[in-house]
Amino acid sequence: MNPNNKIAGAILSDAALSLFHKKQRETSKFKEGCSMPEGKFCNKKPVETEEELKALLGDTGGKQYYEEMKSLDIDHELLWKTIQNTLKSRMKTWLEICAHCGMCADSCFLYLINDQDPRQVPAYKIQSTLGELVKRKGKVDNEFMHMVMETAWAKCTCCNRCGMYCPHGIDMGIMFGYVRGLCYQQGFVPWEMKIGAGMHRVYRAQMDVTDEDFVETFEWMVEEYEEDYPGLEVPVDKEGADILYTVNAREVKHYPEDLAEAAILFHLAGENWTVPTSGWEQTSLAMFAGDWAACKMQVEHVYAAMERLKPKRMVGTECGHAHRATVVEGPYWAGRSSGKPPVESIHYVEWLAEALREGKLKIDPTKRLKKPVTLQDSCNYVRNNGLKDITREIMSYIVEPGYFMEMSPNREHNYCCGGGGGFNGIGLFRPQRNKALITKRDQLLHSGAELVISPCHNCWDAIRDLEEEYKIGIKWSFLKPLVISMVEIPEHLKPKE
Amino acid sequence: MEASMYDFLTGPMLWLSLGIFLIGMLVRFVLYFRGLSWQLDRVAYKAYPLQGLKGAVNSIVKWLIPFGTYGWRKQPFMTVIFFGFHIGAVLVPLFLLAHNLVLKETIGFLLITLNPLLADVLTWAVVVSAVFLALRRIALPEVRILTTWYDYIILLLAVAPFITGLVARYELGSYTFWLTVHILCGEALLIAAPFTKLSHIVLFFASRAQLGMDYGIKRGGMKGKGMAW
Amino acid sequence: MFKKILFATSATEACDHAARVAFNMAQSYDAKICIFHVLGVPTRGFSQVVLDVKTKEEVVVDDEYIAWVEEEIKVHYSKQLETTRNFEIKVAIGLPHREILRAARELGPDLIVMGGSTGDDEDSVYKKSLVGSTLQRVAKVAPCPLLVVNRPAASFWGGMSNVIFGTDFSKASDAAFRFALQLVKTLACELHIFHALDIGSMHLGRIMTQDEIESNIRESLRRIRGRYIPEMKDVPEYDFEVWEGIPYVEIVKYAREKHADLIIMAHHTQKASREDTRLGSNIEQVIVRAGCPVISINR
Repeated sequence: MNPNNKIAGAILSDAALSLFHKKQRETSKFKEGCSMPEGKFCNKKPVETEEELKALLGDTGGKQYYEEMKSLDIDHELLWKTIQNTLKSRMKTWLEICAHCGMCADSCFLYLINDQDPRQVPAYKIQSTLGELVKRKGKVDNEFMHMVMETAWAKCTCCNRCGMYCPHGIDMGIMFGYVRGLCYQQGFVPWEMKIGAGMHRVYRAQMDVTDEDFVETFEWMVEEYEEDYPGLEVPVDKEGADILYTVNAREVKHYPEDLAEAAILFHLAGENWTVPTSGWEQTSLAMFAGDWAACKMQVEHVYAAMERLKPKRMVGTECGHAHRATVVEGPYWAGRSSGKPPVESIHYVEWLAEALREGKLKIDPTKRLKKPVTLQDSCNYVRNNGLKDITREIMSYIVEPGYFMEMSPNREHNYCCGGGGGFNGIGLFRPQRNKALITKRDQLLHSGAELVISPCHNCWDAIRDLEEEYKIGIKWSFLKPLVISMVEIPEHLKPKE
Repeated sequence: MEASMYDFLTGPMLWLSLGIFLIGMLVRFVLYFRGLSWQLDRVAYKAYPLQGLKGAVNSIVKWLIPFGTYGWRKQPFMTVIFFGFHIGAVLVPLFLLAHNLVLKETIGFLLITLNPLLADVLTWAVVVSAVFLALRRIALPEVRILTTWYDYIILLLAVAPFITGLVARYELGSYTFWLTVHILCGEALLIAAPFTKLSHIVLFFASRAQLGMDYGIKRGGMKGKGMAW
Repeated sequence: MFKKILFATSATEACDHAARVAFNMAQSYDAKICIFHVLGVPTRGFSQVVLDVKTKEEVVVDDEYIAWVEEEIKVHYSKQLETTRNFEIKVAIGLPHREILRAARELGPDLIVMGGSTGDDEDSVYKKSLVGSTLQRVAKVAPCPLLVVNRPAASFWGGMSNVIFGTDFSKASDAAFRFALQLVKTLACELHIFHALDIGSMHLGRIMTQDEIESNIRESLRRIRGRYIPEMKDVPEYDFEVWEGIPYVEIVKYAREKHADLIIMAHHTQKASREDTRLGSNIEQVIVRAGCPVISINR
């Protein structure tokens, strides 16, 4: 961390400032007998220990948390000072130059799905929250902050689609990411988000999965599949490997098969790969929560693994926001002026496309998908990292010609799955999220596909919930299991009978 | 009108208003870019100047073409009245014969001039489009909710020179009166521009360039074909 | 022989037959029985909400809820638990096959006991995006023998006199054989080795002649003699046969004829087939049809 970086200092010092102000408040409270204490669960302090995390988790559904939020104070001075320090030319101009033309309206799936409610127009959403915060110089009340929280987490998934349809190029998704940071600082953050950010602070993973759990589970999975794939192994902490593989902690907890599948594909492709014992989690709920300090800690943890093991490249799992957090945005949180992680880092689809292209993995043409298949474009690496053609290249290998049906719109113009930006996990806003799923539901129905390939955990979950809610009969899958079902096993790797 | 009023308005006042306009816009443009922060914006501007430039140019040029982006195509009516307004609003003040004659008197040379019929058509397009832009603000709920009195004033400020210009050009009423008003409106526009939303005259390019750099450098520009606006 | 038993149950009637056997065995062998139950599937991205497997409602899982579910299980098996000395109840959330395997890895049991497939009803909380039943997926990679009790007739683990060992001469069958050997020696009962000659036309693309069938039978008998008989010195009573037909049908018939108390077979190490999930492998058909418990072994 470059001590001369004033701007980073301004961001970092938020934490220090927060502490300073807290102490100030406590002292003055003692003196004046002020009667607006912070809540036990809902307060401006991030969750930083396992005990606090467990306690917060124990407040089922955030009942007490939200109750306390009703009387949460706003630290006006801190809020305004933060805005002054961090809202610079780009965002300031965005807020001022908005021509109020309303062209962003029908770019936003939430506007469309909510019967074109004018209050869902992106420009309106941001002007009524951030615009107001700036106009009022941070002098806002609890009710206002509740409204901001709801707008930032239930009326925007930060999909960045609106920025593509604005003549001025005003990206309201980015602004809402910024707003979430302000909300988090003031403690107005959804319960699950606060927990998620806390998880990253305590475990450097989005769930309570320790480094031991990770390695144990990976080894367990490899053992299970060893007989089918002799020689299958998971090299741990290997230095100088070609590939360093990072995952989503949810795979360890809920879909460990994914770990095995990743190992199998690397094995069949003959890759020299490894996983780190520490710094294996690529995701960042902290990003959804607006906890910038935790974002920084999380990505630095992964970068440390890269620097420790010096792989040629880092390959992430099939997850959208993990890629965005660690590879796209992460370098900036870590103060890297190159905008790149320490090691060339690619998304799983980039590795897979390359492996198929170079013949490291060969597909048996008779096993290609012969039913109508469509493809979900995950905002975080299609719109926001340009991988639109890579995923389609993969389709060309694994889907029988004539069976790939595009959604409409598609590529970088595709809509959010409905569950992005943390929407999937916030109980308080579940009804809004379920409504949002309708957009993707209708796209799937119009595409005529029976199966949707969704190389992103969030999108995968959203589509699963979509099917649970609306029962349209769609099947959905990641890429790994599909590729495994049709890949040719090289002779020397076949099991001996 | 006394000759001195006309001389004043086309002499010192013109210099002043043009000066304020040009310097003010330049200042805003420069300040915008100086205020960008690679770390806060999370875009490594300086690290990839070529990709940044490509992205910026792509981002600007596509949006300058009617129906050149998905955004324009999604809103055909708006696109028509938008370009109907802006094409004339840019070309007529710059290339109208009458203006260039004044220019010749002031600085000694003139720019290319528009065919008078074309100038008429463009100016009418500006006025008609402005009317529709205003109606649009009233009629469409998604625009209405955003619109404030300020938006109407800006529109009025922007279209007033064109309306008064037409009135003078068709010599309705007192020619000298309307000419004076026209010049005043024009100069008011020039003076107000750097301090109001009319600054979008340059900030449109600045803002689009920034987003273009963002997509060109960080959000995919280095991975293939670039953003398909 | 069995010191730790993992009994994976849905805590409903469907598993009562398996429960009978599991508790029976725990008592007979003075083994520790871990009653394992998956109470639901997480339904949100990463939150605490879970779809309860019984009520099909969304619940928020906290310590209280877990304790309540454990209590329910205790009540359901109260009768058996009266006479069980060493037990624990474990509740988990997730996909059943994964959690069962996870629990098995942690506990290191000598045997897993499960009921037969309960079958997926329309509104089951387990989404159809995953292929293969819980049974299929657990049997494929279980770290220890898996005992499946599907029918009421099969729920008796009493005096064992006849054990069938079905083989297809694979490596997995060898492992199953070793287990079978150990079991019959411990229980002092008869071992019947059986191989079914698959004459289904789908395998050969044509119908075999009778001569071919009989020559294959002779060959298989020879293989049994060569492969297994040498190991059977300490086994007092055994015999072996080879019948032709559809394998699972023949095994079930053979077991019926021999009044089998138990069938031991290898689980084929094939990937959970995407298309013919309903058919399943031979062993699944045997489990579903046999009149006695079936033990599946894969390693």
